[in-house]
Formats: sequence, structure tokens, C-alpha cells
Amino acid sequence: MAFVNPFLLAGTALVAIPIVLHLVMRRKPRHFEFPALRFVQRRHDENRRRLRLRHLLLLVLRVLAIALLAAALARPSMKFSGAFGSQEAPVAAVLVFDTSMRMEYQHENRTRLEAAREMALWLLAQLPPESQIAVVDTGPGLPAFQVDRGAAKHRIERLATVANSRPLGATLDDAVELARESDLARREIYVFTDMARVSWPGESAPRLRDRLARLADVGVYLIDVGVDEPVNTALGDLRLSGEVLSTGRSLRIETDVSHRGPATERTVELYLLEADAEDSGDGVRTPRKREQATATLAPDQAQQVRFEIGSLEIGPHQGYVTIAGQDGLACDDRRFFTVEVKPAWRILVAAPKPAERFSMFLTEMLAPESYRRTGQAAFDCRVIDLEELAKHSLEPYSAVCLVDPAPIGRDTWAKLGEFVSGGRGLAVFLGRKAGEVASFNGPEAQRLLAGKLLRQARRPDGDVYLAPQDLQHPILAAFRDLSESVPWQDMPVFRYWQLGKPGPGVDVVVAFNDGRPAILERPVGRGRVLTMTTPVSDDPNQPDAWNLLPVGLGQSWPFFYLINDMALYLVGSTDRQLNYYAGQTATVRLDPSRSLRSYVLTPPDDAGVELRLTPNAEDDSLTVTSTDQLGNYRIRAGGGSSDVEHGFSVNLAREQTRLQRLSEEELADRFGPVPYRLARDRNQLEGDRSRQRVGRELFAALILLMAVALGVEHVLANRFYGEG
Amino acid sequence: MPTAESYLKPEVIRQIKRLDLRARFIVQGFLHGLHASPFHGFSVEFSEHRKYTPGDDPKDIDWLIYAKTDKYYVKKFEAETNITGYLVMDLSRSMGYTYQQELTKFDYSICLAAALSYLMIHQQDPVGLLTFDEKIRHSLAPKSRRKQLGDVLSLLAKLKPEGKTDVAASLDQIAAMLRHASLVMVFSDLLAEPEPILQSLRRLRHGGHDVILFHVLDEAEVRFPFDGMVELEEPETRQRVQLDAAGFRRDYLAELERFRETYRRECSQTRIDYVEIDTSMQFDKALTEYLVSRRARH
Repeated sequence: MAFVNPFLLAGTALVAIPIVLHLVMRRKPRHFEFPALRFVQRRHDENRRRLRLRHLLLLVLRVLAIALLAAALARPSMKFSGAFGSQEAPVAAVLVFDTSMRMEYQHENRTRLEAAREMALWLLAQLPPESQIAVVDTGPGLPAFQVDRGAAKHRIERLATVANSRPLGATLDDAVELARESDLARREIYVFTDMARVSWPGESAPRLRDRLARLADVGVYLIDVGVDEPVNTALGDLRLSGEVLSTGRSLRIETDVSHRGPATERTVELYLLEADAEDSGDGVRTPRKREQATATLAPDQAQQVRFEIGSLEIGPHQGYVTIAGQDGLACDDRRFFTVEVKPAWRILVAAPKPAERFSMFLTEMLAPESYRRTGQAAFDCRVIDLEELAKHSLEPYSAVCLVDPAPIGRDTWAKLGEFVSGGRGLAVFLGRKAGEVASFNGPEAQRLLAGKLLRQARRPDGDVYLAPQDLQHPILAAFRDLSESVPWQDMPVFRYWQLGKPGPGVDVVVAFNDGRPAILERPVGRGRVLTMTTPVSDDPNQPDAWNLLPVGLGQSWPFFYLINDMALYLVGSTDRQLNYYAGQTATVRLDPSRSLRSYVLTPPDDAGVELRLTPNAEDDSLTVTSTDQLGNYRIRAGGGSSDVEHGFSVNLAREQTRLQRLSEEELADRFGPVPYRLARDRNQLEGDRSRQRVGRELFAALILLMAVALGVEHVLANRFYGEG
Repeated sequence: MPTAESYLKPEVIRQIKRLDLRARFIVQGFLHGLHASPFHGFSVEFSEHRKYTPGDDPKDIDWLIYAKTDKYYVKKFEAETNITGYLVMDLSRSMGYTYQQELTKFDYSICLAAALSYLMIHQQDPVGLLTFDEKIRHSLAPKSRRKQLGDVLSLLAKLKPEGKTDVAASLDQIAAMLRHASLVMVFSDLLAEPEPILQSLRRLRHGGHDVILFHVLDEAEVRFPFDGMVELEEPETRQRVQLDAAGFRRDYLAELERFRETYRRECSQTRIDYVEIDTSMQFDKALTEYLVSRRARH
């Protein structure tokens, strides 16, 4: 309870007037002679009690009326949550700004951040002297109270949107912590937000509520600088047919164009950055439009667009997809991409004699003949006899596949071990030829295989099949969207090897439906080994075929994808990420054969700033942590003919720019019982603040009560005394 | 110049000091008013003469009137107005009370008694006067002579209301004293226990007397005009009571009404005329009551 004119409370002393009158009137009655006293005496006692009651009642009402009047004139106000002292007492104010890219939405010629900044500067001027002020944004950086008001003003003026914005909830957490650190009694948190639903996720609400609930005396003000009905067209995340492509394969790019607002038609264009024809060696590239599509957009609907570019040259390629024209939010109108075109991966397939027959299914699946003819095959498979493996140089290959291997020498295992440790891949498809398990259970072999071979499990009923459960492994990426609908049971497995205790670091990637491992992974040095407990070489027409995986009972496409993804995983293609979201750490894999001491990173902003990077010695990679700019990053080294070029792209996650606003119910749900004030303009904010600080004025209510007290007094007095 | 009827108003009569004049003016006002009232017939009856009608004894003709008016009038016979009236005055101190410093209850009663005496003497009705406080103080035997009026008025003028009173005992004493059936007109504020008084009144009635009980109260006693906190003191017993007058008025009036109702009911049963009078009322009410009572006896 606070008073605007507390000294007027002294007026409460005036309640003494009716009390004194009451007492004085009682003490000094007028004296009359009255012979008919006998009529008085009979009822006097009863009447006296009644009168006393009436007098007391009237006295109370009069005293109440005076007290209420005095209280009303002192203009009290009731606060709803803790705020202490007068309105001019210093406060600990934490100003939280949402600086996500969404705040760049332009409306009435201002971005949301500009609107927030303007409001914040006004608010800053309103804060009482000696206040502690902190400016916190959702960008990286530790929150702290500013030195003085000038510093806070400067900080507000320099606020800018960032692509790698932290969640607003986490920032608010920091703000609450900061407010708590303050030793001032009154603490206020102002959150400048566009009220987008994505910035107030429901799952973080309980944590936020807990944090705020412990700070019951903090006033929380949400300043809504958003736009009620935003109009925006946005590009979704790009879906590339692959980030690393083999020569001859075309690049497919799919994305969604989503739209809020009235129906419209937008043109979507695909640009590739290409070196100028008369490249003078400075590496300057210009965007060249390669494709164009038109999206007809109904309100609040999305449309898919698809581009395909064929015959890209070997090397990195960068470009972007963009919506032509302008709209309220520019940052989600363009998505960048980087792909790398490489020659087909070289894979050595070693199989028992006749090697061609044993390896036929595998090579056909990795490099189908039709692809080979047109030069689109992702893999270049070289098939040799298993016996030749010992002598064959493994250096040109990215991976080795042992198809139904017969026992091989310990030296050969050791050679394979060295090959894998150097960062390559090995796949072992165990089958009938592994009958003599001693070779496989020897120490050299066991450094690579997932476990010791124990026995062959027979399942002649055909009720065992591959049953991948967790699809997070890269070799299962193709099935993530399909999940339940993959017909694994159409590819029965009749026999497989049971392995002993798994070696160190072994993971079961795919199991059979009976729970036994089917594909296991073991990291070895910088490389990896995949062991499959059933072969891919058996002729399905043979009566004792171990499985029908290559052909299935009609369809075998799941196995085709599985084998291809296994091969990509082994050659390290799935590790190569060329497209990142802002804030993620980018890792660029270098060619170990062309190791250079330093590289130059060119960020996308064209400011001419170049960063020098030194590769990590152990895994031939470059790590880039500052990915807060959207666009195509370029990494170069060497020069002239020995030019080495890499690149990656950084995009804003589509989720970040969803402008759908939080409804009031949802907002109330996020805050739960924690009191907060929502303001859209200065007047509301001012009203909210004075209510929060000084409280709600009770003047009107008190005057009303006083009128009621007087009215009741009047009616009762008339009734008591008027009846005569 | 006041009209004759205005003398029926206590505030007018108050201006006149001499009791005989008060009596005369009241009666004149009363008689004047009767001409325009349902009691018109009384005025003829109460004149001293009436027109000669065949059958009247010629020796009763008043020749003096004849000489003046050239018309025959006969004197009325004494036997026609043969009502012996006793005016019984309460001398209690409470009768001397007035709130507005105008006529006290006693003054009012004296005026009324004087007017009645005047009226009765002029009708040649014998009228006597009895006064009492705790017992009978003065007794004037009833006579119808003109001199009697002077005696009655001079006695009345001398009376002073002081001291305590015992209405019941005094009425008992009167009942024992009166031999012939008479009209007993009691002027009292009756501020005592009602039951003994009613008992004495019954006794009086039983003795063959007609009783008119003039219950005279002060205007203040009837209206309770006080406001705010007051202290009321009973003049005889000196008892005091403090109260909030405005809040008490309703209770007081209810109590008074209950008291009067007791008398009204009891008197009605014993055929006593109970006349409620207060000092703000015109005198004619009391006089009319007397006339009604007198007529009932014929």
C-alpha cells in the first residue's frame, strides 16, 4: 500500500469529531420538567439499550465515512506484487531484447528491433535516478549491469540482430539471475519481444515459471513490438540430393515456400556462384541464375519448389535459392548451399574365387551398370580375389569390402588394420567361407572385427529379417522418414554368424528381429569397420542361400539403400557436412594427400576480411566456430595451379523466422501464476509500471465506500429519528 | 378585534387576565359557535327565556321583556335545569406544568371550570366546587344563584397547584360526601396509578353520580416535542431520566396511548365520560361534552 499524499492521512484524526460529539451530547442533556415521566420510565431501559446500539451504529458509520474520506484524499494505491517505496526509488531494471533475425521484420518502415530500441530509450529516460540498468540480448555474451545510464543507452543503440540467437527463455533465465544479484529492493525485467510463438516454446515454460516464482518481487513487463498480422514469404530449409556428389550426378534441391498474408505469386530463383570467364586469379565469383520457378501461394500455405542442376564440375560449388522481390522479413528469403562434386569413390572388393560372382550383387548395388555407363556411379569398384589382397596396394582406395571372406593371413589382417587406422573404411560380410574361424578369431582379425565368430545360426523358416530400431545411425538415414513402411520382412535371412562378446567400442547398428546383431560397427584408429553377420553374395536360387537380401521376395530396395549408405559411411562421405545452421561449429575435412600449413577463410559478408586458419594435425580438418553470418564461406589455400578450395554454407533455421504469434492464453500458460504485464505502447507501459510500482489507485473505491457509509448513515438516522 | 369563537382558543384566552371575563368570553364564543354547529338546539335551550306558547302559565310571562320587545317570553323553570354540578379540581403540582410557558394544565382547567360555572349558573344549574390534593382542600356547596358564580370564580382564581396528590383517596372522599345524584366533573392529569383511580371512579358512579373525567394534559405531554439528549424531571417526586428524545418519541406516544386506552376502556364500561384534553385544544370540546352529558340526563 502506498500513498500519494500520505500527510493527508492525518485527516483520519477527524474521526474524533463524531466521537467527541457523541460523548459531549451524552454528557450535557437539556433539562426539562416533565410530569408525565411515568410514561417514559416504563420503556426507558429497553429504549436505552436500543438507542445505545443505534448511536454506536451511527457513530461507527460517521467515523467510517470520515476515515474513508481521509484515506481517499491521501490517494492510496494497492500493489499487486512486490515493489517497494515510492515511484522514484531506484530500480534494478534488466532490459531483455530478442535479437533474433525475426526482429528484422519491417512494418511501417521500422524493423521490430528499431521499434524495441525506440521504446527502450524512452523507458530508459523514465527510470528513476540511481537505477541499475542491464541490457541483455539473445546474442552470445554474458549479461551484466551497465556502468551507468549512458553506457546502457549506448548498448541499446548498438543492438543488432544475430543469426545464432539464443532461445529467449535462456536469456530470460540470465536476466532473472541478474535481477537477483542486485541489492536494490525493486527489480524489474522488461522483455522486448515480437511475441512469436517460436521464441516462447512451451517446453521451457515450467523452468521459466520456477525461476520467476522464486522471485516474487520482480515486476515482469513484456513489451510487444510485434505485428498482429505479419505478411511474409519464407523459404524453407534446402533439401539437397547430397552434399558430396560424384561426377555425373545431378544436384537436386527441394524446398518449401511458405506464405503468411493474402494470396500472392512469387518467383523463386536458383543462383550458382561461378568464377568469371576472364578470371584474373583473384577468385571473385559472381552469382549466375541457373533455374527459376514460380510459386503460387494461397494464404498461410506452403508450396514445394524443386530445382535440378546436372553436370557440375569436380570441386566445391556454392550458390543460393532466393525469392525475387522484397517482403517484410528479408533474412528468410534466401537460403545458401554448398555441394562438393568428387570423382567416384574407389572401393576395393575382395572376394573368394570366383570373385566376380561373389561380388556381383555388391558391385551392382554400389555401381549399377547403367550408372557406370553414364558416368553417374558414386563408387568405382575394383574386384580382386581374396588371395590377392595380401599383395594388392590399398592406397588408392577409400574403402575395402571383404565379401564372404575365407580365412586370410594374419599379415593381411594387419595390413587391413593399418589401412583402417589411417582413416579409411572396411566392411566384412561374413558368410559360408568363414567356416574355419581360427583366422577370424586371431588377434589381428579381432582388432578389426566386432567379435569372435562362435557358430552359424540357422533360421530355415524365413522368419528372421533385418529389424533396425534406432534410425539415428548415418547408414540408416534413408529410412528415417519411412520408418514403419520399410518391407524388411520381404528379405528373409536363413543363416548368420553368431558372434561372441563384442570387442571394445563395438555398436550394434542393425539387429535381426530375433535380437541378434546383424550389422556392427567398430571404430579403429581414425577409420571404421562394419561387420555384417550374413553375406551379400549368396545366389538366392541356391537352396542353401544364407539370405534373400540382394533380391528379396519381390522388392529389395531397402537393402540397396542400406548397402549404398554403408559404403558412403565407410568412405567418410556421410561425415562431410557442408551446410550448417548459424552458430554451429563448421568442420571442413581436408584432403590428407594435399596437406597445407594454412588456409584462408573468406566470410560471406564481402567486407574483404579474410581469416587465416591452421588445420588440425590429427584429423586433417579445419574448424570454424564463428558461423554467425549467413551465407557461403570459402576456404582457399595455395594459389595458381595448386589452388585448393573448400567451402561451406551457413543458413538460418527455418524455425527461427516463423512469425506466428503467441495467443494471450498461451502466454498466460507460459507464465502460469507469475504475474506479468503486457504492454504494446508507452501509455500501456506507463500505466502498468505505475500500477506495479505504486499500485492501483483506490481513490474511486474509497469515495464510493464513503458515499455508501454516508448514505446508510443518512437512511438509518432518518429511520431512527424521523419516525417521531 | 377577536371574533367570539377566537375566545375558545387557549392562546387568545391567555391574554385575558380576569377569570370572570375569561369564563364569559369562552361561553360566548362557545354559544356563538353553536349556531353553526350540530348542537344548534342547545342555544335556545340555554337562554334564560323562551317564547310563550299556549299552555304555559301566563303568570310566568316576563313582563319586563314584553315591555322591551313587545313579545311574550316566559322564564324558564328551575326544575328544567335541575342538574347539580360539582367541579372537582386536582391541585397537584404536576397540574401547574407548562412546556411552552403558556397556559398550564391547571390554568386551562380553571378556564374550563370557570366557563362551565358560568354556563351552569346562567342555566340556573347549581354548581359547586371541590378541590383536592392528597385530600379535599376546598369545598363550595352547589348553588344556582348568580352570586355563586362570583364565589366559584374567586375561589378558582385563588387556587394554586402545589404539593403531592392522591386522586383515588380524594375521589373516595367526594363519593362519601355527595348525597344527591350529581354531575361530577373531574379536572385532573391523572398522573398516578390508574387502577385505584378507576376504582374510586366506579365507586362514585355507583353512588348514582354522573361523572365527566376531563383528562387534562399539557401539549408537550401529548406530543413529546423534545429533541436530542434531554433530562426529564418529575416535578413531584424529583425523579430524573436522561434519554434521547427523538429516538424515544414513538415509545412515549405508544405508552401514553396505552394509558389513555386503559381509561377509555374502563370508563366506557362504567359509563363515565372520559374526555382527553390537552392545553392546545379549544375549550369547546369540554363544554360540548358537558352539554351532551346534561342532555343525556333529560
